[in-house]
Amino acid sequence: MTPLAGYLLLSAMLFAIGLAGALTRRNAIIVLIGIELMLNAANLNFLAFWRFGEHPEALAGIMFVIFSIGVAAAEAAVGLALIIAIYRHYKTANVDEVNSLKG
Amino acid sequence: MNELPILTIITLLPLVSGIVVAGLGEHRKLARGLALTSSFLSLALVLGLWRSFDGNSGLLQFVEGPHAWIPTLGVQYYLGVDGLGLLMVLLTALVVPMSLLASGRVADRPHVYYGLVLFLQAGLVGTFTALNFFHWFIFWELSLIPAFFLVRLWGGAARAAAATQFFVYTMVGSIAMLLAFLAIFLATSEPGQPGVFDFITLADMARSGTLEQLLPAKLGWIDLTARKLLLVVFGGALLGFAVKVPMMPFHTWLPAAYSEASSPVTMLLTGVMSKMGVYGFVRILLPIFPQHINWMLTPLLWLAVITIVFSACAAFAQRDLKRMLAYSSINHLGYCLLAVFAVAKFTNAPQFATEKAAALNGVFLQMFNHGLTAAALFWFVALIEQRSGGLRGLNDFGGLRKVAPIFCGLMGIALFSSLGLPGLNGFVGEFLIFKGVFPLAPWAAAFSVIGLLVTAIFILTILQRVFNGPLNEKWSKFPDLTLGEIALLIIPIALMFVLGLYPRLVLDVINATAVQMVEQLKF
Amino acid sequence: MNVSYLELLKLAAPETIVVLTALAALVVDLTSTRDLEARFRFIINGMIACAGCVAAIVWMLVMPAHANALEGMFVVDPLTQVVKIALLGLTLFTVLISMDSTFTEHIGEYLALILLAAVGMMFLVSAEDILMIFISLELTSLSLYILAAFNKRDVNSAEAALKYFLFGGMAAAFTLFGLSLLYGLSGATNLGQIAAALEDKGLDPLLIVAMVMIVLGFGFKVAAVPFHLWAPDAYQGAPTPSAAFIASGSKVASFFIFAKVMMIGFTGGETNGVHEIAGSAAWQQFVSGWTPVVAVVAVLSMLLGNLVAIVQSSVKRLIAYSAIAHAGYMLIGVMAHSGEAVASLVYYAVTYGLTTIGAFGVVAVVEARSKDDQLASFAGLSRRAPVVSLCMMIFMLSLAGIPPLAGFFGKFYVFAAALKTGAPNLGLLWLVILAIAMSAVSFYYYLQVLKQIYVADMPAGAEELRVPVLGQVVLGLIAVGVILLGCAPNLLVGVLQASIKAAGL
Repeated sequence: MTPLAGYLLLSAMLFAIGLAGALTRRNAIIVLIGIELMLNAANLNFLAFWRFGEHPEALAGIMFVIFSIGVAAAEAAVGLALIIAIYRHYKTANVDEVNSLKG
Repeated sequence: MNELPILTIITLLPLVSGIVVAGLGEHRKLARGLALTSSFLSLALVLGLWRSFDGNSGLLQFVEGPHAWIPTLGVQYYLGVDGLGLLMVLLTALVVPMSLLASGRVADRPHVYYGLVLFLQAGLVGTFTALNFFHWFIFWELSLIPAFFLVRLWGGAARAAAATQFFVYTMVGSIAMLLAFLAIFLATSEPGQPGVFDFITLADMARSGTLEQLLPAKLGWIDLTARKLLLVVFGGALLGFAVKVPMMPFHTWLPAAYSEASSPVTMLLTGVMSKMGVYGFVRILLPIFPQHINWMLTPLLWLAVITIVFSACAAFAQRDLKRMLAYSSINHLGYCLLAVFAVAKFTNAPQFATEKAAALNGVFLQMFNHGLTAAALFWFVALIEQRSGGLRGLNDFGGLRKVAPIFCGLMGIALFSSLGLPGLNGFVGEFLIFKGVFPLAPWAAAFSVIGLLVTAIFILTILQRVFNGPLNEKWSKFPDLTLGEIALLIIPIALMFVLGLYPRLVLDVINATAVQMVEQLKF
Repeated sequence: MNVSYLELLKLAAPETIVVLTALAALVVDLTSTRDLEARFRFIINGMIACAGCVAAIVWMLVMPAHANALEGMFVVDPLTQVVKIALLGLTLFTVLISMDSTFTEHIGEYLALILLAAVGMMFLVSAEDILMIFISLELTSLSLYILAAFNKRDVNSAEAALKYFLFGGMAAAFTLFGLSLLYGLSGATNLGQIAAALEDKGLDPLLIVAMVMIVLGFGFKVAAVPFHLWAPDAYQGAPTPSAAFIASGSKVASFFIFAKVMMIGFTGGETNGVHEIAGSAAWQQFVSGWTPVVAVVAVLSMLLGNLVAIVQSSVKRLIAYSAIAHAGYMLIGVMAHSGEAVASLVYYAVTYGLTTIGAFGVVAVVEARSKDDQLASFAGLSRRAPVVSLCMMIFMLSLAGIPPLAGFFGKFYVFAAALKTGAPNLGLLWLVILAIAMSAVSFYYYLQVLKQIYVADMPAGAEELRVPVLGQVVLGLIAVGVILLGCAPNLLVGVLQASIKAAGL
C-alpha cells in the first residue's frame, strides 16, 4: 500500500466517523464535534495530496489547510454560541427536544 | 403611416385609468364615473379609428413597429389591425361600457371592480392588436387574471369553484399553447439568431413550407415522425384556443363560470373574451397551421358539429336563464368554428374562393353580432335579477309581458336576434356561414342545421315561459324599464336592427380582409 | 508571482468599500448613536449601510474592470460586476425592509453582519479558485447563521439558526471533502486548471465521489431537495429580514457559483483563458456524470417544494417551500450550461431574489402587528393596508409566473434556453414540461395567500394597519422593479448577454 492510500483511508474513516457522530448523536455539542471531525478529515486529505502530489513545492494544499483550520475555528465559535442560545431557552442541548418549528 | 401611435393609446388608456381607478380608494361614484369616462373615450377613439380605416385594403393598418423589445428572444413591439382586428377592438370598446353601465350596484370594493374591468379591457385590446406571439401572449394572460378575480370576488354562491375551474382550464390551454410556440421558436432559431415569434413571418413561413421542414429537422430529437410532431405542435396551439372558445369537449368550465359570475361580468366573458378564442383560430391557427387543420379536417368538423348540436340541446335542458344563455353562447361560436375548419378544406381551389370568403365574412360578422347580442341578453338578465332579488329560473316567472311590456319587447328583440331572425343582426352572420360552408362541407353543414332548429325551440321556450302565460302573482309589481334604462338599452337594440338591415356597414370593413385571408390560404 | 497590492485593492474596491461600511456602521452605533431611540439608530446606521452599498455600486459602474488576479483567486469581469451590483441591490433592499423592525437592540452588529455576508457573496461571485470559493462560502454562511439567530428573545429564532447551522456545517464539511478530492485528482486549486487536468482522465470513481459531495454542498446552499430540510425552519424562525436575505442574496450568489463550477470545473478545457464549453469528448463524459445527479435533485425539488407548500399555514414556510421549488426550476438552467443559460439563470435568480425580498417585506409588515405569520393573519389585509396588499399581489403573481411580471419572463427564458441548448437531450424536455406543470400547481398556493388578503373577511376588531411611509415606498419600489423587469426584461438581459460575451463564457 502506498503511503498516500493509507492517508486517504485514514481520512475516509475519520470522515465516516464524524458523519456517523453528526447523524446519530442527539447532543448538539457532539454533533458539532462530528462536523469538526469531518472538516479535519478533509484537511488530512489536502495535506496528503500535497505531500505526495506532483508539485510539493507549490503550497496550495497547505495553504488550504491553514485557511480551513481558521474557518473551522470560526465555525466552532458560532456553533457554540448558538448552542448556548438554545440552552438558555430550552435548558438542554438535545436536538430532539428543540422542535417548536413544524409545518 | 399614422404618426400617432393610436393603437398603443387605445391599449394603454384603460390600463392607466384602471390603475388610477383602483388606486383612488373606495369612492364609488368617482370610480364609476372615471371608468365610464375612460371606456367612452376608448369608444370614441375606436370610432375615429373605424372612420379612418381603409376598407378596400385587407392589409394591416395603423401599424406600429416592429420595434425591438427583447432582441434576444426575437420579441418585438409590433401592433396593427386589419378588418378583423378592428372589428374586435370595436366590439371590446362597445361591450365594456355596456357592462359598466349594467353593473350599477357594486357594493363591495367598487374601485377594485372597475379597475379590474378596465384591466380586462386593456388585455383584450392588446390581444386583438398584437402581432408578435410573446407580446400577444402577455395580453392574453393579462386578460385572464382580472377575469378570474371578477368571477371569484363578485360572483354567486358557487363562485370559488367556478372561478378555479375557469382558471385551471384556461391555464392548461395556455401552457399547451406556450409549449407549442416555444417549439416553433426553437425550430426557427439559427445559431446567433433568435427564433421567430412574429405572426406575419410565421404565416409566410407556413405558406412557403419552411416551417414544415424546420420543425422536424430542428426538433427531430423527439422520437416521432415528422407528421406526428407537427400534429403535436398543432394540437398544443389548438388546445389553447379550443378551451377559450370553447369547443366541446373542453367546454365544461363555461356554464359554471358564466352562471356564477355576476351578469355584467358575464357580459364581458361571453361578449368579448370568448371571441379571443375564435380570433386566435382565425388569426393564428388558420394562417400558421392551415395544412394541419386540413389533415385533421374530419374530426375537427365533427367536433364543431357536436359543439353546435349538443350545446343547443344542453341549453334546451337547462332551467336557469344564465345557464341557457351560456350554452347558447357555445352554440353560436360553434358556427364560427365550423366555418373556420371548412375554409381549410380544398387546397388550391380557386373555384371555392367566393364561398370561403363568404364563410370568413360570416365568421367575423357572427363574432361581432354574438358579442353584441349576448352582452345585451345578459344585461337583460342582470335587470331581471335586480328586480327579482336574484331569481333567474325559467319557471320562476310567467306573464311578465303584462306588467313589463317594454322590457319584454326589447328583450324579445334581443332573443330573436340570437335566434337568427331575418332582419336582425344574428341572421346575417349565420346566413353567410351556411352559405359558405354548404358547398365546402355539406354533411357537416346539414347536421349543424339541427342546432339552428333546437336553438329556435329553446329561445321560444324562454319567450313563452317568462313573458307569456298566466301572470305569476308574485310579480304583479314587476317594474318595467325606467326611461334611463330604455335610453341605454335602445342603443344595442338599434344596432341589432341596423346591422340586420344594412350589414354592409361592417362588411365594407371586413370583406377585404376575408378575401385576402382566403388568398393567402393557398398552401 | 508578482502581486501589486495597489492593483488588487483597486480591483477589490467595491468589497473594500462594503467592509469599511460595515465597520463604520458598527463603530457609529457603538459610539455616537448608542443612547438614541432604537428607531433612529436603525435609520441612521441603515442609511450608512445603504450609502456604502450605493457607493460600491457606483464604483463598479464608473470603473469597469476586467482582470484575473492571482490566478483565478479574484476574477473581475463584466459578468461578475453585474451580479455583484445585483447582490448589492438586494442587500440594499434587505437593509431598507429591516429598518422598521424591533427584534434587536444590536443594530450596528446586525447591519455589519448583513454587509459582511454581502461581501462574502461578492467574493464568491469573483472566485475561480476552490480555496476562495470555500472561504467566501463560509464567510457568507457564518454571517447568515448569526443573522438567523438575531432575535434573542425568540425561541424560534435560536432554533432556526441551530438547524441552519448544523445542516450547513455538515454541508460545508462535505464540500470541503469533495474539494480536497478534486485537489488530489488534479493537483490544482484553480477551476480552469482542474478542468484541464481532469480532461484526459476520464470518469474516475473518486471524481464521482467528489462531484456528488460538491453538488451536495451547493444543493444545501440553494435549498434543493434532499438538502432542503433546514430551509422551512430557518425561514420561519429567523427574523424576517434575515430570512429575506437568506432567501435572496445567498441564493443568487450560490446559483451563480454553482453554474460556474459546473461549467468551468467539470466541463474541461481552458485554453489561453478562453473557456471551451461544449464539444470535447471529455465534456460529454462529464456531462453524463453529473447531469443525472442534478436532474434528480431538480425533479425532487420541484415536486416536493410545490406539493408541500400547498398545505402550509405559515406564510414564511409557504415561501420557503416555494423557494425549494424555484431552486428546482433554476437547476434546469444550471444543467443547460451555455452562455444563454447563464444569462437566464442570473436573470431568474435576481428577479426571484427581488420578489422574495418584497414578499418577506410584506410578511414583516403584517408580522409586526399581528405577531405571527399565519395565513389567517393576512385575512382582509386589502382593507387594512391596500398599498401593501397590492404589492403582495404583484409579488405572488410574479412568483407564480404570470405575465407580464418578471417571474414569467424568468421562467420563460430559463426554459427556452434549456430547450435550445439541450436540443439533443430529451431529458431536459421532460424536465421543462414537469416544471411548467408544477408552476401551474404553484399558482394554487400563491392564490391561497391572495385569497386571504382579498377575499377573506377582516378579523373582528382589526383596525387599519399603519405602515410606515418608508416601508410603503420600499415595497412599492420593489413592486415597480418586478413589473419593469418583466415588461422590459432587456434592461437586465441585454446587460447580461453583453457581459457574458465580454467575459468570454
